[in-house]
Amino acid sequence: MTARHTVSTLALAVFIAVAIATSGAQQTSTAQPDSTSPWKQTTTPWGDPNLQGVWRYEAAIPLERPARFEGRESLSDEEVKESQRLEDEQAKQRLAGAEGAAVGRRSVAESPIRGNEYNSFWQDHGRPRQVFRQTSLVVDPKDGRLPYTPDARKAEARSSARYGAGPYESYLDPDTGERCLTDGVTALMWQGPNGGHNRIVQSQGYVTILHEEYLDRRVIPTDGRSHGTIRQWFGDAVGKWEGSTFVVDTINFIDRTNYEWASIFTRPSETLHIVERFTRTGADAMEYRITVEDPTTFEKPWTAVIPITRLADGTQIYEYACHEGNYAMTNLLAGGRVDAAKRPR
Amino acid sequence: MTRQLRSSVVGVVVAAVVVALGAMWLFQTTTTSQSASQAYQPARTADGKPDLNGIWQALNTANFDIQGHAARPGLALMPAAPRSGVAGLVRATHVELPHPSVRPLGAVGGVPAGESVVEGDEIPYQPWAVAKKKENFDHWLERDPEIKCYMPGVPRATYMPYPFQILQGTDKIVMAYEFAGASRTVHLDTVPDSPAPTWMGWSRGRWEGDSLVVEVTDFNEDTWFDRAGNFHSDALHVTERYTPTSADHLMYEATIEDPKVFSRPWKIRMPLYRRIEQGKKLLEYKCVEFVEEMMYGHLGVVDPATGQKNK
Repeated sequence: MTARHTVSTLALAVFIAVAIATSGAQQTSTAQPDSTSPWKQTTTPWGDPNLQGVWRYEAAIPLERPARFEGRESLSDEEVKESQRLEDEQAKQRLAGAEGAAVGRRSVAESPIRGNEYNSFWQDHGRPRQVFRQTSLVVDPKDGRLPYTPDARKAEARSSARYGAGPYESYLDPDTGERCLTDGVTALMWQGPNGGHNRIVQSQGYVTILHEEYLDRRVIPTDGRSHGTIRQWFGDAVGKWEGSTFVVDTINFIDRTNYEWASIFTRPSETLHIVERFTRTGADAMEYRITVEDPTTFEKPWTAVIPITRLADGTQIYEYACHEGNYAMTNLLAGGRVDAAKRPR
Repeated sequence: MTRQLRSSVVGVVVAAVVVALGAMWLFQTTTTSQSASQAYQPARTADGKPDLNGIWQALNTANFDIQGHAARPGLALMPAAPRSGVAGLVRATHVELPHPSVRPLGAVGGVPAGESVVEGDEIPYQPWAVAKKKENFDHWLERDPEIKCYMPGVPRATYMPYPFQILQGTDKIVMAYEFAGASRTVHLDTVPDSPAPTWMGWSRGRWEGDSLVVEVTDFNEDTWFDRAGNFHSDALHVTERYTPTSADHLMYEATIEDPKVFSRPWKIRMPLYRRIEQGKKLLEYKCVEFVEEMMYGHLGVVDPATGQKNK
């Protein structure tokens, strides 16, 4: 139940060294639907573009551009081929129960987290992860890096150092995920290695997104209403259709945690403003584009483009009873007390 | 005379026929109007199904106690003190007293009286289960899963004092509850069995006439029916019927079967009311953060409520 985003996308960016490319056989960019595909956008009975189904991020693109790809937005054919080979190999290793470097993850010895993190059994990154040409999810700013303010960058360093290391002196010390609250809206569509499935259900006047992890749910009206005034963890979202693109504008977030989030780029603040664009590009493919604006955390807005995959018909999402079974909290606090007793006074 | 007799006979016959016809007419009118109210024609979705979309809420005291109950002075009660005083001159004592932990709430912490939502007002517990229900009632404060912000289960989620929203897709219907942010997906298409027991159940729906009928299975044994300790086991099977009875009302019925706890199936029934406020939204009630101090405050090195070290 703990260590939910030990493998945050940021960490993936650092550790999955070569796994960032696209197969020659696969489409080269999510933004460009395969022109040979017979797929046509279907509509709901009431005429809205149909986005329904269970969707998940299954690619291995780092959120921020690794230094070795500086100045390059996409990979060469050679890099794509190598990346695909590596992904196939790691997928095989995962199935065989391997851990650590063989599956593109940290070994126990390399892990900065004492006791390591969840092993591969708990993680589901795709079968194998899909390879794309993008060198980072962040496409704007052009350097592919999150434009943190200096203060936010310091907070990021503090929260990273603290994550998994503690001290855990009370229930307020673990991050919001470990408290079974949420990991926030920002990365909802592309995070959750143990519950990253998103079911989209459309009804007249609404699009509902059920995210498996933490039972996160967004009921987004598309009836033309304007924003309300009530602040919430998930803010106040209003949606509209622009052609076949579903556009969601969300403001009025609240942060009741008074805490530096483990993945600080996902933290809500009262100044956070998110604009998301969902565009289906094929029967099983969607481009999810998110623009994040928050002067509290970022010097300027940033935009990420994320390829999302529709899973097979019949794929279910299941009940994520996190709080109901959060034995980890009790154990973590017990461990915290043992640690405190050992500490020299 | 004969003539008179005959005419009077005719008169009686005519009168009888008139009365009979009148009665038939009355009867027919009554039946027609009855079936007219039963056969309210609900609005339809674009794919021709009864339109249940909307934000709904029960307006009753079922979450306090699904059975009929008089008002009580506290959500939690303490045992009455023994009657005291000398024989023949007995000092009055309470029959029921609020438990000290809820006493500061005063009138806010009481339980309003309410009629039963249980058909016949009887819950057919097996003998052992009667005792367990009473024990649950007596230990409500420690045992009710609602207090810990656990997912409320079905049917309780329907009649908690929070709205819920029906989002009617074509082959899935989402029931989104405000309390604890609980959701369930009603599968109108064919799905395999649930791989594990759940808090909110595994819901398979179908249309019967204008009613949405949902079979809910695969429960765990950890949810309750109300704050009075009514409970079930993991053998619970709930059959729900949502029937539109006007533009702003649904009739909700749930048949409860659980051969481990009850001796026969039983049924609850109540109207649900549309929240007709313009632009009404389902808001967040993320209560996990509200219960952390109660559940974990004493467990860490420091209690955040006091800033002091725990012993």
